[in-house]
Parts: sequence; C-alpha cells; structure tokens
Amino acid sequence: MPKYVIDAHRLIGPVPFDDLPTDPRDEMDRLGIGLACVTHTLSLYSDPKAGNEALLALDNPRLIPVPVVVPGAGEPDGPDEVAAWGVRMIRLCPERHRFDLTGPWTLRWLAEIGLPVAIDLDETSPAQLRHLAEHLPELPLLVLNPGYRRLRALAELMAEAPNVRAEIGTVNTQGGVEWLAARFGAERLVFGTGAPVSDDCGPRFLLDHLDLPEKDIERIAAGTLEALL
Amino acid sequence: MILDAHGHVGTWPDFLIPHPTAEHLVAAMDRIGVTAMGISHLLAVGPDAVRGNELAMEIAGRFPGRFGVWQVYNPHHRTPLVRDGVWGVKLHPDVHQCRLDDPLYEPVWRLGLPVLAHGQTDSPWSDPAQFAAVAARHPHVPLIMGHTGLFAYGFGRAARLVADLPNVYLETCGSKMTGRWIARLAALAGAERVLFGSDACFLDLRTGYGRVALAPLTDTDRALIQGANLARLLGHS
Repeated sequence: MPKYVIDAHRLIGPVPFDDLPTDPRDEMDRLGIGLACVTHTLSLYSDPKAGNEALLALDNPRLIPVPVVVPGAGEPDGPDEVAAWGVRMIRLCPERHRFDLTGPWTLRWLAEIGLPVAIDLDETSPAQLRHLAEHLPELPLLVLNPGYRRLRALAELMAEAPNVRAEIGTVNTQGGVEWLAARFGAERLVFGTGAPVSDDCGPRFLLDHLDLPEKDIERIAAGTLEALL
Repeated sequence: MILDAHGHVGTWPDFLIPHPTAEHLVAAMDRIGVTAMGISHLLAVGPDAVRGNELAMEIAGRFPGRFGVWQVYNPHHRTPLVRDGVWGVKLHPDVHQCRLDDPLYEPVWRLGLPVLAHGQTDSPWSDPAQFAAVAARHPHVPLIMGHTGLFAYGFGRAARLVADLPNVYLETCGSKMTGRWIARLAALAGAERVLFGSDACFLDLRTGYGRVALAPLTDTDRALIQGANLARLLGHS
C-alpha cells in the first residue's frame, strides 16, 4: 500500500451532463489521496480562459493547477503568459478545442513553454502523439485516459517515445497495469483517475493491490508524477 | 463473503487481455478475498457456445467452489442447456445480434434458472427497456442486467425501468461505472437489488471490486451488494 498518493487527473467545477461533486477534496480525503492535479471544468465545457482564471484563483496547496492551453488564436495570448502562471503542467485538448496538435503553432508554443503536457488519448491519436514526441523529444507527455482497448497501440507509442508516460486509471483489463510496468517500468506509469466523471474508487483500490514491488507501487502512486513535475 | 456475478475466462478479439486464464483469476481473487466468481467462457460468448461452455465447466471442476458457470445460450445455434451444476444462463444479445425480447430465447426462460444478460443503453439488442419487457413476462426468472445499461447516462433510467420488477437485478461491471454511481443505484433501486460484478478477465477484477469496496455505502449495503444478494439469489444462504 503506497504511503503517499497523488492523483494526476481530476476535475474541479460543474459538468453539464451530470450532478457530480464540484470540489474534489472530500473524495480525496475519503480515498486517501494527498494531492491532485486539477483542471477546471469551465476550461473543458465552456471557456478555456474563464476556466483557467477560476483554476489559478484556487490557491490551495492540495490542488496542483493544470490549466488548459489553446495554442495560436486561443488561450492564453502567448507562451510568456503561461510562464507567468507559474504552473507545473499544462493540458491540451486538440479535439475539443479544434486545433492541430502537430501543427506549427502548437509545436512552437510547446517548445517555448517547456512544461509537461497532459493530453487525453480521446483528444488525439497514438500517431499524433508519436509525431509530437519525436518532434519535441525533451517534452514530457502524460497520456490521460488511455483505456484498455488500445493497449497494443499505447505500448507501441511508449516503446517509440521515451518521453511519454501513461495514466493508469482506465488501464483496466486484467493485469494491464502490470503488463505495462513489465515493459516500460513503473517510472513511465502515473496514478490518475479522471474523477469525478470517471471512477476513482476502482483505480484507488487497484493501486493498493498491484502485483508489483513496493518501490514500483510508490513510483506509480506519486514518484513518477513528482519527477515529471 | 464476496461473490462476483459477472466474470469471464479467455481471449477476446477486440483488444489484448494480458491474463486470460483461470489461474490468474484465482490468484487475483485470493489477493483481494473474492470467494467465487460466475464465469462464462469468452469463446462461448463468441462463436462456439458448446465448446466454450465445456471449457467453463472444466475450469469450475478444476477449482472447486471458486467458479460458478453461466452457460452461454446462442439463440441461433439453439445451444443445449443443463439444469444442474451451473449458476444459470448467460445471454449476450449484442454479440449474437438477437434482441433480448426475441422469441428465440424462449428455451432460456422456460429453463427457469437465473439469467445474466449484457445490458446496453440505446442498443437495439439489449436496451434496459427490453429487460423490463421480458422480466414482466417471466416474473419467476431472476434476471441480472449486466452493466446496468453500460453508459453513465443510462444508469438512472435503467434503475427506474425495472423499479417495479423485483426479479431484475442491477449488476455493476463496466468501464463507465463509478463508486459514486453504485451508491446512487443503491439509493434508487434499493441495495438488495444491486449485485457486484467485475467483468474479469475482460476487465480487471481489482478495479471492478474496488468500486464496491470504496464506494460511499453503508457497511450493510456493501455486504448486500458484494455477495449477500447473489448468495440469496442462487439459494446459497
């Protein structure tokens, strides 16, 4: 059982399609999650700028802000503004915000920003991520919500792109997390949930019962993400 | 006691299952304290119900007390069914492309054993409304709605559609289920109508059970959902 757990992927704020907890802290307490990387739902379901403003105003030591960046004609005005935010990771949603993940604007912005980038696999494709990883090999990429049906494609991506890490919350076919750990090491895997839209109870239980050495479980629970940030 | 209502052994064509064997499942069950799991073989869910059912029976025989068998009925092949030595019948209307309310399933309802069927909101084959229809027609057949409609937007509707049909049970497995939704289902339908299922080895047993173990439930409701309800349904208590 890990001593310390950080959730790499949580939301704060209301969602349009359900009545879910808008503040993650009660559930974090209940499930023994110390810190969480959070993105504001306004950035996903309304206005990226308004969401980022609400997120950056939170100022809570347990919530690590992960603002959404829309490169080019979007939010913020430029890479300098991201530096002024003082954050440790950013999130891209190329499908939702309709921009080209491997287009020249995005590649230039990401090179200049230089922060780890979280991207939901549903927002892109393994091929796009591989292209991005090859173009910016020093840029840490965290693939959120990789799921279990694309384990082969995820493995190919991780094999070809050493700067890619994967969130384990949705890697839930039998023994899938151990399968990835055996190939790429726990230092490439990150605990995350996508809560409250996705489940946090199952992944949290899985973390406590992984069939891996304790040091690897500690890495997945917090160490990999701490090193990334 | 923890009883898993919905499990599998075997491989599936859509994606890689790293550990598809009964041996790996038993190790996982021992690791978290699952007493027994009801399985159908994925070969049986797919193209060969007869051979897949034989394999499931062989597995149950090799691990006494650890696996119950849901014998798969393929309505197109009119799979032979048995009454003894099984938990009941497994139907997969979506894979078999045969609606749950199709007359081809009549031999299953006549058998009278518990039936576990895949349930998927908005599917032409297995929408929860079809569970309500067949459950009303066969009130003495316990009918387990696998996945409770599968998609989060349909969980509440699934519970409402079968609220007045006490022979229907809501089963918790699926990649879109959450601990929060299991607690909601218990509040909507009553905890005595909710059954823990994992969908292992298709999905990870630990993730599936973890949703029940860590859901915001009372200890009494958790005990019902994780085993007592299924034990009662199967006549084990």
